[in-house]
Amino acid sequence: MKVRFWGVRGSIPVPGPQTNRYGGNTSCVEVRPKGGAPIVIDAGSGIRKLGQHLMNHECGEGNGSVHLLISHTHWDHIQGLPFFSPLYTEGNDLHVYARQREDKHLQSIFAQQNEGPYFPVPLDSMKASVDFRELTEGQQFDIAEAKVTCTRLNHPWIAMAYRIDVDGASVVYSSDTAPFTDILLEQEFIAQPPEIGAPLKPEDAAKLKAMRKGLVDLCKGADLLIYDTQFTPEEYRQKPHWGHSTPDDAMSIARDAGVKTVALFHHAPARTDDQQDAILERYQEGTKNEEFDVISSYEGMELTLGDHD
Amino acid sequence: MRVKFWGVRGSIPAPGPETNRYGGNTSCVSIRTSDDELFIIDMGTGVMHLGISLMGGEFGSGSGKATVFLSHAHWDHIQGFPFFPPIFVPGNHFDVYGNARSSDRLESILEGQMNPHFSPIYTLKNLGSGIVFRGVHPGQEFDVAGVQVNALDNPHGNTSALAYRFSENGRTFIYASDVGYPDSGPSAQTIAFYKDADVLLHDCTYTPEDQKTRRARGFSSYADAAAVAAAAGVKHLVMFHYDQDYSDDKVDALLAACRKELDRHGGESIKLTAAAEGAELDVS
Repeated sequence: MKVRFWGVRGSIPVPGPQTNRYGGNTSCVEVRPKGGAPIVIDAGSGIRKLGQHLMNHECGEGNGSVHLLISHTHWDHIQGLPFFSPLYTEGNDLHVYARQREDKHLQSIFAQQNEGPYFPVPLDSMKASVDFRELTEGQQFDIAEAKVTCTRLNHPWIAMAYRIDVDGASVVYSSDTAPFTDILLEQEFIAQPPEIGAPLKPEDAAKLKAMRKGLVDLCKGADLLIYDTQFTPEEYRQKPHWGHSTPDDAMSIARDAGVKTVALFHHAPARTDDQQDAILERYQEGTKNEEFDVISSYEGMELTLGDHD
Repeated sequence: MRVKFWGVRGSIPAPGPETNRYGGNTSCVSIRTSDDELFIIDMGTGVMHLGISLMGGEFGSGSGKATVFLSHAHWDHIQGFPFFPPIFVPGNHFDVYGNARSSDRLESILEGQMNPHFSPIYTLKNLGSGIVFRGVHPGQEFDVAGVQVNALDNPHGNTSALAYRFSENGRTFIYASDVGYPDSGPSAQTIAFYKDADVLLHDCTYTPEDQKTRRARGFSSYADAAAVAAAAGVKHLVMFHYDQDYSDDKVDALLAACRKELDRHGGESIKLTAAAEGAELDVS
């Protein structure tokens, strides 16, 4: 399979010379199994250029099929979808997968983004056919030859991590999540950060422990782990309730799960290219004796894992 | 009035080396009045950078006050709102004007943006600062901090967007983004609204060729902008809201082509610039 990064930024797109090298588009990763249709994870602003790329192939002829796994529906993970060119060509199929919600069907959540007064082209008037499949935590399913598994993460309103196994290789996408130590993030709005290291309610601690185990199990032996590393440790201490991790948290999961490579992902909007270089260098230096490699994702990065075209 | 551009791009932010010079952030323009009052026109992603620049002053300490004017609520004109740091500081105050039949409707549009499915903010109530929503009635002039403000409902695809006219000490700045005129051209009312303005900032999303295949989207070409600027006898035309796929070099080409169009319409004396992120204009 080939894994290509189209958007690596968190929260909001950040154009400008300071993001030229790592890229300013929000989250979007393409996993392309050998000879198969693309499996896309998240539809941040990076999906716009992926769409243009796909239009040079099957999608341009109206016989493209795209599977889209959504970690969660916060804007930075869906804001590119109205600008995904294959949706505007008849004959293409888009299959959207995301966690089932208690109050609303997935389709109506996505429809809202495309409706007035926010956007001029309603989802149901798109020329491509779009269908939605709601997932439960831990569910396993197949997309052609690929096996997909998922588990929940520690993020406000809850996000899902996905593992894709195909072509004798495996990739895990784990964004967005807070570490599993200081706060349980679910449906409730949390206005104030807890004190770092303050004792958790026993039921919250148990839930976080189970969540972390679920993620470690999901990552077991993965070739590539793409992980939310929005914060430096210093930034995290100010904002533990925002639902994002540090590279240290990614390393901890990688170590316990025996993954081969960790890719830093979901860079903070304020992070300049030079700062990201420094973060990468710091963690590469600090993990020399580990079993895994550390890389930083950047827009346009393509990795080849297992069998490939 | 001192005008500054924070985001000049249309539809969706366009990061990348190819947009470094004009900028890839979506629509946001600020005005400082002669009394140093702050107006913010549209809240595309550019407003985040305006907000960051304000945090060193009174907006950082919770004594800031600004007036926001929204042209309409398409994403590229509101998507920076939850990333505007001063909005979280208790004590700051914002009046938000927008095109709505009622202030309640305007509030519910922005409340929808904060919905927990889409945003970790959950609701406007969590923003911290004081926000008062005010529906704008096009054609009814009002006064904000000594500036005369009027609005015009311009056609924009299957909806409409407000153009704003700001006049202070006899000088006029017009913000007219996101407008697609009918085949018959701009209405007499639109030309009258732009008439004799010192600066007309106008939607220049497309080349005429690209516009032909995208008519329904309701945007102007540089030729539309040049024609209406000449017809209204404005002194300075500022191009704005470039298509997300246009590189800096392409915008340079748009600028040159727009100059020719202005001249062709007898507008040789009209000054022309292409708005770029970070650039400022003195309208006084």
